[in-house]
Formats: sequence, C-alpha cells, structure tokens
Amino acid sequence: MKRLVLNIQYFAHHKGQGSTSNGRDSAGRRLGAKVGDGQFVTAGSIIYRQRGTRIFPGNNVGRGNDDTLYAKVAGIVKFERVGRDKKQASVYAVVEE
Amino acid sequence: MIKVTVEKEKNRVKKITIAGHANYEEYGKDIVCSSVSSIVITTVNGIIEICPDYLVVQEGKDQMVIQIQKEDEICEKLIHNMISLLEELSINYPKNMIVK
Repeated sequence: MKRLVLNIQYFAHHKGQGSTSNGRDSAGRRLGAKVGDGQFVTAGSIIYRQRGTRIFPGNNVGRGNDDTLYAKVAGIVKFERVGRDKKQASVYAVVEE
Repeated sequence: MIKVTVEKEKNRVKKITIAGHANYEEYGKDIVCSSVSSIVITTVNGIIEICPDYLVVQEGKDQMVIQIQKEDEICEKLIHNMISLLEELSINYPKNMIVK
C-alpha cells in the first residue's frame, strides 16, 4: 500500500468548480443630452433622452411618452435652472433681422 | 459537507468512507477540510509504516474509502484515534462534517 500524499485541501471544494448565475447586463441606453446649450435645432429634433424628468420641458419643448425632450420649433436650445433644484430645456426661435 | 461513514463487523471497524466537501471556505482556506485531510492522511501513512497490508485505500472523485484487511492491535488503536478526532471535529463544525 503506497503512502498518501499530504494534500491538506483533499476534501475542499476544488477551485474553478464554482459557477455564478450573475454576469448579465443589458446594453447601455445612451441617455443624456443630444444637443448642447446654445446650439441650433430644427423642429422635431431630440434634445434630451432620459428616464423620468431629470430635465423638464420648457418653452417650445415637448415631452415624449418615454420622457424624451424634443424641439417643437426651430431655434436655439437653452438649458435653464427652475427653482432650487430643477432644470428645464427651452427652444427660442431665431428672429430673422 | 464531509460525510464520514464507519462500518463495523463484530464491533471491529471494517470500512471507513470519507466523502464530500467541507465547504467551510474557498479552496486553499478551508480549515475544516485541511483538518480532516491531515487527520486521515497522517493516520493512513502511519499505519502503512507499521503494517503495510493492514489496510487498502481507494481514492475516488471527492471521496476516500479505507478498507481494513486484517487485525492488528496498534493499527486498530490508530484507526479509533482517527475516528474520535473526526467526531470531535464534527462537534465543533456540525455544518461542515458529520460522522455516522
């Protein structure tokens, strides 16, 4: 009978056998501003993609059913502060001289 | 959980089966497993030194089976000592090992 090798982890759960049920994630939704402050947009352009109203619709800006903000008219985009802690996006039509 | 099964005939130990994982900690840090491994391997190697054909060890996946082949007073004492140490260990770590 041959001597046994002293493997003090003989009855341990062997490395690498474990598995995890995690490791999945959905693709990023590319949220956030699509237009900068002071930038010209055409009517219907998307200004801000969001979940919920991080930024509220201001003048000449509409809100889609997924809370996306879009321009109702062509003009310059302005991000404004409203009250203490709220923000809104507005579009101001460009006045032809 | 490590399960230690002791089979006797006419009040003599004939076969000991040690199977399973302690699962006390991850590989390399499992103190319960290392205690069981050390107790068993030390006893088996000690017996092989004294009386080489007293027992036969079969190593399988995640288990070890010790078959007693003959009678020898000293070796029997070593086996009983091993079993009592494993029982003591199972009292301290009931979730990780059991002796039946």
